[in-house]
Amino acid sequence: MDDAKPIPHYIGTPIITMKGISRRFGHTLALDNVSLDVRRGEVLMIVGPSGSGKSTLLRCINYLELPDAGMVEIDGVVLSRHGVDLNRIREHVGMVFQRFELFPHLTVIQNIMLAQRIVAKRSPQASEQIARDLLAKVGIGEKADSYPVQLSGGQQQRVAIARSLAMQPKVMLFDEPTSALDPEMIKEVLDVMLDLAREGMTMVIVSHEMGFARAAANRVVFMDQGRIVEMGAPEQVFDNPHHDRTRLFLSKVLQH
Amino acid sequence: MGEVGSSEINQTARSPLGRSSLRQAPWWLIILGIGIVFVLLAMMRNEDYAKTLGYVLGGVGLSVFITVVAYVAALIIGLIAGLGRVSANPIAYHTATLYVEVMRGLPMLVIILYTQFVIAPMIGAQRNPALSGILALALGYGAYLAEVYRAGIESIERGQAEAARSLGMSAGQTMRHIILPQALRRVLPPLGNDFIAMLKDSSLLSAIGVNELTQLARIEGSRTFDYFRAFNSAAILYLILTLLLSLGVRLLERRTSSGRR
Ligand SMILES: Nc1ncnc2c1ncn2[C@@H]1O[C@H](COP(=O)(O)OP(=O)(O)OP(=O)(O)O)[C@@H](O)[C@H]1O
Ligand SMILES: [Mg+2]
Repeated sequence: MDDAKPIPHYIGTPIITMKGISRRFGHTLALDNVSLDVRRGEVLMIVGPSGSGKSTLLRCINYLELPDAGMVEIDGVVLSRHGVDLNRIREHVGMVFQRFELFPHLTVIQNIMLAQRIVAKRSPQASEQIARDLLAKVGIGEKADSYPVQLSGGQQQRVAIARSLAMQPKVMLFDEPTSALDPEMIKEVLDVMLDLAREGMTMVIVSHEMGFARAAANRVVFMDQGRIVEMGAPEQVFDNPHHDRTRLFLSKVLQH
Repeated sequence: MGEVGSSEINQTARSPLGRSSLRQAPWWLIILGIGIVFVLLAMMRNEDYAKTLGYVLGGVGLSVFITVVAYVAALIIGLIAGLGRVSANPIAYHTATLYVEVMRGLPMLVIILYTQFVIAPMIGAQRNPALSGILALALGYGAYLAEVYRAGIESIERGQAEAARSLGMSAGQTMRHIILPQALRRVLPPLGNDFIAMLKDSSLLSAIGVNELTQLARIEGSRTFDYFRAFNSAAILYLILTLLLSLGVRLLERRTSSGRR
C-alpha cells in the first residue's frame, strides 16, 4: 500500500446508526444485539472468523436482510418506519459483492447505465456520460462494450464498483470485495477503493486485507459469534488487541 | 460464470484428433432422414398411396396452425402462472399453484373433452371444436410452461437479485430487467421441446372432430378401408414435422449455450 495515512478528510456526524440489531436463522443467532455507528467520511473495516455475522450485519444496513430486532437509521431515516421507500434508500447505499454479481446479459456500459435509467430516471445521454466517466476512473474505459465474462475478476469488480458509484451513493458497502480474486488482481481493486477513501466516501468494508486496513481504515471492528467483540483504530486492534479472541483470530489470519 | 467454464471444457474435449467430431455427427438423424425420403418416394409412385398422402396432407396446415396459436397463448398463460409460482404474494402463489396442479393432474384428453363438452356449451362455442381445442391445449400446456419458467427463474443465482435490489430497483424491475432475460435464455430449449410435444398432442383433437392431421387420416382410413396407408401417411408427416422442429431446438440449444448467455 501507500505511504502511511492517506486520509486527510474530515470525519463527521453519524450517517449510519444501528441499535440493538439481532438476526436469527433457525437456531443460529447470526447477529446478537449489535449496535454500531458509522460516521460521514469514515472508512470502517469489519473483520472476524467465518460465520461471525459480518455479511449479515452489512446486509442489514440496507435491509437486504431484515433484522428481527433493532433499528437502522441511514442519513436521518429510520428504515423500519412506516412509509419509508426502501428502494429510495438502497439507491443511495452502494453494495459490492464478493462474486461481483455483474449482470451477465448486459455489456459493461449497460450494467452501469441500467439503474441510472430505470431507478434514477436519468436520460440515456446523461447515464452514458456518467458511466463512461466512471469506467475511466476505475481504469477500464476501453471495456465499455465487453460482456462481463470477457473480463478478468479484477476488472469485473471494478465495473461493479463503478455501477454502484453511478447511483451517487452516500455510503458504500463492500462484502469481501477481493477474496474471490487472484492475488495479482487484488491490488487493482484495492487501489480503486483507496482512491474512494481519499475522496471522502463513507465505506463499510468486510475484508481481511490488513495492509489496506492500516492504510485506509479509521476504525476496525472485530466480530465473533454475532457480536462486536472489539473496536478501535487499526493499530490498536491489530497490534494491541484487548481480547484473547481477537488475538487468536489475528494470529490465524496473519499465519496465511 | 460456472457454465462458461464448463462449456469451454466441453469444447476442448470435443476437438482432439477430429475423431470425436465423426461420433458427434447425428447419424441416427441422417439415416432417419434418408429413410423418410425413400418412403415418401415409394408412396408417391403408388397412385392410391399418393392420393391418401395428399388427402392427409391437407390436415397439416390446421395441425400447425392450432399448435402455433395454442402455443403462443400457453406461453403467455405460462408466464403469468410461472410468475405467480415464484411470487411472494400468497394469493398469486396459491392461485397459480392450484391452476398448475389441477392441469398437470389431468390427462390432456380429459382437458380437451371437458373444454369441448362442458365449457364450450356454457359460452355457446361448441360449434367450433378447433377453438375449444386451442383453448384446451393452451390451458393444459400453460401449466407445463409455468413450471418451465419457474425452474428458469429459480435457476438464477440469488446474488443477481440482491445486486439489482441494492441499486434501488424494485422487485418488479428486478424481475423484468435482470431475472427474466437470463431465465428466458436458459429455458429456450425446454420451451422448444414443449412446442414439439404440443404438436403431437394436437392429434388428440381428433377426438372432438377437429379436421387436423390425425382426424383426416382416420376419415381416409375408414373411407378406403386401408388404415395401413392412412396412418402411414399421418406418421410420416408427423415425423417430418417433429424432426425438423427438434433440429431447430438443437440449433437453439447450441446457440444459447455457446453464446454469452
Ligand atoms: N440465509 C441464511 N440462512 C441460514 N443461515 C444463514 C443465512 N445467512 C447467514 N446464515 C448463518 O448466519 C451466521 C452468520 O453468517 P454470515 O454470512 O453473516 O457470516 P460471515 O461472518 O459473513 O461469514 P464468512 O466470513 O464465511 O462470509 C452463519 O452461521 C451462517 O450460517
Ligand atoms: Mg460473509
